[in-house]
Amino acid sequence: MRAGITAQALRRHKWALLGPTVTQCVASTVITMMVTTAASLGAAPLSPAQRAAVEATSVPEAAVAFALIAVYMAILLVGVTMNLAIARQLRDIALLRAIGATPGRIRRSVALQAAVVAVPAAGLGYPFGLGAGHAWVGGLTQHGVLPGVVAYAPSLAVLPMVIGIGIATSVLGGLAAAVRPARIRPARALTEAATRRPGIGAPRALAGAGLVVAGVVLSAVVARQAPERAGENAFFVMLAMCVGVGLLGPVLLRGVAARVRPFSRGIVRLAVDNVAAASRALSGALVPLVLVVAFALVKVASHTTPAHRTGLREPAGELWTDYSGTAVYCAFAAIAAVATLVTGLVGRQRDLAVTRLAGGTRRRVLAVVAWEAVLVTATALGLAAGIAGAVLVPVLRSAPYVPFGYLLAGVALTAGVVAAGTLAPAVALTRGRPVHVVAAAVE
Amino acid sequence: MEPVVELVDVTKRYGRAAALDGVSLAVPAGTFVAVMGATGSGKSTLLHCAAGLDRPSHGRVRLAGRDITRMREGRLTRLRRDRVGFVFQSYNLLSALTVRQNVLLPSRLGGPRGDLDGVLRSVGLDGLASRPVGELSGGQRQRVAVARALITRPAVVFADEPTGALDPSTGATVLGLLRDAVDRDGVTVVMVTHDPGAAGFSDRLVLLRDGRIVADGPTPDPVAIAERLRAVSAAGLAGAGRAA
Repeated sequence: MRAGITAQALRRHKWALLGPTVTQCVASTVITMMVTTAASLGAAPLSPAQRAAVEATSVPEAAVAFALIAVYMAILLVGVTMNLAIARQLRDIALLRAIGATPGRIRRSVALQAAVVAVPAAGLGYPFGLGAGHAWVGGLTQHGVLPGVVAYAPSLAVLPMVIGIGIATSVLGGLAAAVRPARIRPARALTEAATRRPGIGAPRALAGAGLVVAGVVLSAVVARQAPERAGENAFFVMLAMCVGVGLLGPVLLRGVAARVRPFSRGIVRLAVDNVAAASRALSGALVPLVLVVAFALVKVASHTTPAHRTGLREPAGELWTDYSGTAVYCAFAAIAAVATLVTGLVGRQRDLAVTRLAGGTRRRVLAVVAWEAVLVTATALGLAAGIAGAVLVPVLRSAPYVPFGYLLAGVALTAGVVAAGTLAPAVALTRGRPVHVVAAAVE
Repeated sequence: MEPVVELVDVTKRYGRAAALDGVSLAVPAGTFVAVMGATGSGKSTLLHCAAGLDRPSHGRVRLAGRDITRMREGRLTRLRRDRVGFVFQSYNLLSALTVRQNVLLPSRLGGPRGDLDGVLRSVGLDGLASRPVGELSGGQRQRVAVARALITRPAVVFADEPTGALDPSTGATVLGLLRDAVDRDGVTVVMVTHDPGAAGFSDRLVLLRDGRIVADGPTPDPVAIAERLRAVSAAGLAGAGRAA
């Protein structure tokens, strides 16, 4: 019951747990989908020749890989979104710390809260996962990737496993998210919550810069390697640079804001300043956005560039497998980005109300949020293009080629995701009278 | 008798600026001390360091008979929980919780069990135990905070502008509760305030300027307090003027 104190404090912020909940729901969907697909393949009545053919399609490997990615993403994104949720409750935590809650107790109760959320989220994700698995296996057999005798077999035995994974990943993410807020001295937390959280620390900045540099160096090394080894190692270029960019996120956003600032005025200037001020919260969304765009660019360009250069088309089935898997992963990261952005924006409800009280019409406040979305989208696209280039050029040994229509669709989808996470909640949050919001936020 | 709170040559720096500059202060048990000074004089920093909410850059702090200067965070937290009560200006309570849940927070965190009904009665909140604190008036909320601070029978209560958000008569009620705790139960109170009326409830007045104690003695009446505060602030301004 003791840990229930923080749970009760968290409950006050209804939106706080949206991020972890959505993340776990999507993670459970992907894990259910992939595990049941792998199980269906294993259970299918296949001749030895058919089985060898199925193994050769790399679908079983892909299913396992996607399930593992989902586990990794769940830990990362629960950590990011839970950290954002806690940032809003820094004063509650400071108060609990002052009157006798140890850092360990704060960490445990945050982890417990994340774990409690994971159970219904996993339960909700499971049926979605069954539907998605059914559709995926159907698509794979229809496109001739898998033999027609493979039938999708939903399994109830997967449910406890999915819930277990959900709880475990939530606990890990929650513990990681609470490290800093729990360690903070109560007096500092009481004052820090009144202002904004400071920028990133030196160790984080160094680690981020180190990883980005390592990615660039590795990219140059990979360019001299034999093509098949280059293909394998390119993954590490991507990993190093994405994690590095994730660590540097707040710095990068502030850097972009500083570059754009001299050319901006009016509401654009306000948006630029907001991006700089909220860089920490926004960087939580930048990470999944950059990951997803870079990953998608690499996947698409590694098919379209050779096709463009040689004029040869790849087998449709193989292409379908790769693209459908990429789509699942992209949807995951996109939903996580939306959840993170919404969490961040809800935290700014009072700021939006104050802006309106200070004389901004609702329309202007929304325009500011829209400009912030443009800045975040542009930053994410720029970073992702850079990372994708560093991964692709050494492997393809030429300039990557992506059809213009694909690029346009990618930009539109990214902008759509950012708008869904910022503009949509801003419209909802600015519906009431600003003075009521400010009055309610005082206590 | 050993002081309940003791600061020895305490300095606290934020970057280059010293919020506290070599402050020494000993508070014997059962006294009510008011700490006053202009904004930025270091009075909140003094309270934070004395209460173990923050650590000094230099110097030593003893609290409830223990040296807390280099105490580990877990032990320090338990010491605060069991021996110290807090009343802040605002944002004292978890507003989603009821009066009872807020007052019982320290014991739910593992601290000593207290007499809930008794403490609620003593602060005049009997009958309101099941109300969410979000529905209470400012004065009632501050009484909940006092009840929470007192329920563990602490050695010392630290109060940071406890009446800052209250009107004078409501504020007087809250201060009367702290005064009663000192007189009746022998609790020690260290209160930071900028209100001469509030300081009038104390036994001893400590004046701070630029992170140093400039006056320390028995509390005079509120009019005299206001005059001393003005004199100290004016001296500070004059000093700043000469420096510039």
